Amino acid sequence: MFCCLVSDPSSPVVPGALEAVARACSPRVERQGDAGIAFDARGLARVIGPPPEIAREVGRVAAGHGLIVRVALAGTTTTAWLLAHARIGVTIVPPGEDAAALAPLPLGWLGALTEPAEGRRPKATGGSGTEQQASGTRDSSRRLARARNYRIAPGPEVGPALQVQSSHLGPTAFGLRPDLQDALAIFERWGLRTLGDLARLRRADLHARLGPLGVRLHQAASGEDTAPLVPIEELHRFVNRLDLEWPIDGLEPLSFVLARQCEALSASLERADRGAVAVTTRLRLVTRVDHTRTLQLPAPIRDARTLRTLVLLDLESHPPPAAIDVVELELDVAPGLIVQGTLLARALPSPDDVATLTSRLCALMGDTRVGAPALVDTHDERRSTMTTFLGDTRPPPSLVRASAGKQGPSAGSREAAKTATFTPCLRRYRLSLAVTVEVERGRPTTVRSTARGIPSGDVVNVAGPWRTSGRWWAPGDGRWDRDEWDVELVDGGCYRLVRDRLTGRWEIEGEMD
Amino acid sequence: MKSTTINRLESLLDTSRLAGSLTRSWTDQPGRPGVSTGLPELDAAMGGGWRLGEISEVVGARSTGRTAVLVATLAAGTGRGELAALVDAWDRFDPVSAAAAGVDLGRVLWVRGPALTVELARPVVLQQAVQRAIRAFDLIVRAGGFGVVALDVAGAPPRALQALPFTTWMRLAHANEGRQTVGLLVAESPLGRSARGACVQLAAAPRWIGTSPQSRRFDGFHLRADVRIDLKHLSINQSINQSIDQSIR
Repeated sequence: MFCCLVSDPSSPVVPGALEAVARACSPRVERQGDAGIAFDARGLARVIGPPPEIAREVGRVAAGHGLIVRVALAGTTTTAWLLAHARIGVTIVPPGEDAAALAPLPLGWLGALTEPAEGRRPKATGGSGTEQQASGTRDSSRRLARARNYRIAPGPEVGPALQVQSSHLGPTAFGLRPDLQDALAIFERWGLRTLGDLARLRRADLHARLGPLGVRLHQAASGEDTAPLVPIEELHRFVNRLDLEWPIDGLEPLSFVLARQCEALSASLERADRGAVAVTTRLRLVTRVDHTRTLQLPAPIRDARTLRTLVLLDLESHPPPAAIDVVELELDVAPGLIVQGTLLARALPSPDDVATLTSRLCALMGDTRVGAPALVDTHDERRSTMTTFLGDTRPPPSLVRASAGKQGPSAGSREAAKTATFTPCLRRYRLSLAVTVEVERGRPTTVRSTARGIPSGDVVNVAGPWRTSGRWWAPGDGRWDRDEWDVELVDGGCYRLVRDRLTGRWEIEGEMD
Repeated sequence: MKSTTINRLESLLDTSRLAGSLTRSWTDQPGRPGVSTGLPELDAAMGGGWRLGEISEVVGARSTGRTAVLVATLAAGTGRGELAALVDAWDRFDPVSAAAAGVDLGRVLWVRGPALTVELARPVVLQQAVQRAIRAFDLIVRAGGFGVVALDVAGAPPRALQALPFTTWMRLAHANEGRQTVGLLVAESPLGRSARGACVQLAAAPRWIGTSPQSRRFDGFHLRADVRIDLKHLSINQSINQSIDQSIR
């Protein structure tokens, strides 16, 4: 059983109120135009009672929202929809009597179907949408033209008749589509007056004369649905605001407030099967200044403790400058993350754990000091960057190759061991060490430094130079031009020595280790 | 052959997560798996590689292959699909070299200390940086889920490390106990002073090829590693010789 609600013309317009009334009764709600809504009333009998009780309850809820509504309960959405428009007050159709209930209604009420018919038109299976629509319109016009020439009996003009029928909520109020106007005019000429008259015609004949539109109107007149009810998703804002009686100074007392708010939000997320991907914390301070922080989360999270910890850690790094009057948390949400574990690799930390850990580390070391290393697409080897550490959950390439080749896990292990080459690495000095270098025949022979601890001494072995340059096309903006040398000093240390060709300065860039 | 009473006592301490108070030799735990260091000879000398749930050390002077062993361990760990973490106390990790050595950078959590010149920095600054790095290492180990967690304090002046309470390393070892994580310290001299974990002391000789100045190339290190496992009742010393063949050029 389906229920349709339509605002009475005498009712005040309250945006969203009609949907709120429907949602108070059922979670499966479909919006039908601006002034009407339909919902699935199946199962309400066990909660509320028989259909008259349901209708009374709906009216009571609507009155609570300050609305006057027309209510219709029927076996199909189409019947309920047409009757809710056509009849004032409450209309209840017993099961199986949809066509009979619709039969006495004047044909003009089919105008109420305009929007549902548009919204529920089945999608074309081939060709682009525009082409299909255009060809459909041409087809429809051609069929209507044929139908006009094939008159069964001359009827009265459609205009006045429709105006008579629409005494309180006439079809002209629906803004009829031209093709529907044409079809209704044809029905009038055929001598049809009510939906019952239309329903008694053969559907195949209507299709031959009017095409799909004729079939749709015949289905509506018979009280048949062409598509199931499609529930709309409830737009829900995940916000929790708390006005404090006394201002809070410091993060420790704030943690208790945040814990309470996060638990409430977590419960909401659980119900909606959502996870938070960003948390906005708005603190209204006693100085009437808003302190706002937005925290992007690496994965959808709904655990209350994790959320509270992350917000607190963020506020520890960026504390509010004054006591707090109002605390508001708002979450941006995304569908919950479904993770499929693997039996072939060890368990990895969950996104919640990774997010908490990286936040703690950021609070300890600084926001820019924690992440995953990443290479930059450049020939300048000094440049590297960091990305957000997400705890890569992809299977390792060795396992992928092993499973693709249908090899055993031992093959994957061998492959992993093979790829782990033992390569001497550079320990890069981020702040290059300036040194004085003695050069003989263009090659460094001695490295000297004034500071203690800086590598210095005679050069025992040297290789190079390797000349690199870049961004010469953008003077002054990261341009480099340098000679690199691998040197071994007398103390046994191996270093990368660099001479900047633009300034002539020598530096130790790092040590080979 | 241990008595039943000792076995019962050890299992009780294990259950209460107080197994750290025990001193066990590696020969007592023959079935414990090792995690590859990425260097087969070193794995063989260590009886399979790094031990899970312990904190081991890689020590050596400059240019002795400490970073190479560390990076090889990271490459082996990430190659197995594990996550790895590196606490880089002085911000000296080079992603380009690591990627060339086979490290899957997307699986590495890189915690960078302040970019300072250790040789010129004030002792107070160094002390703070070391303490933060140890705190970060502790956080990561306690978070769990990482295959390898490394703390690189190589290059730190001895004073900055000696000023730490002697319980620091014992606390870290206790934090890692029972976890499926390899704890690794990289330094110039042994730090842990712990009854657990292995200490790999590295020494290396650079290798150069080419006779003429134009053909001269740095060709890696000839590596010597002394593996030391100090226990109250057992001392194992094994040495390996391994050449690091691949030049970074």
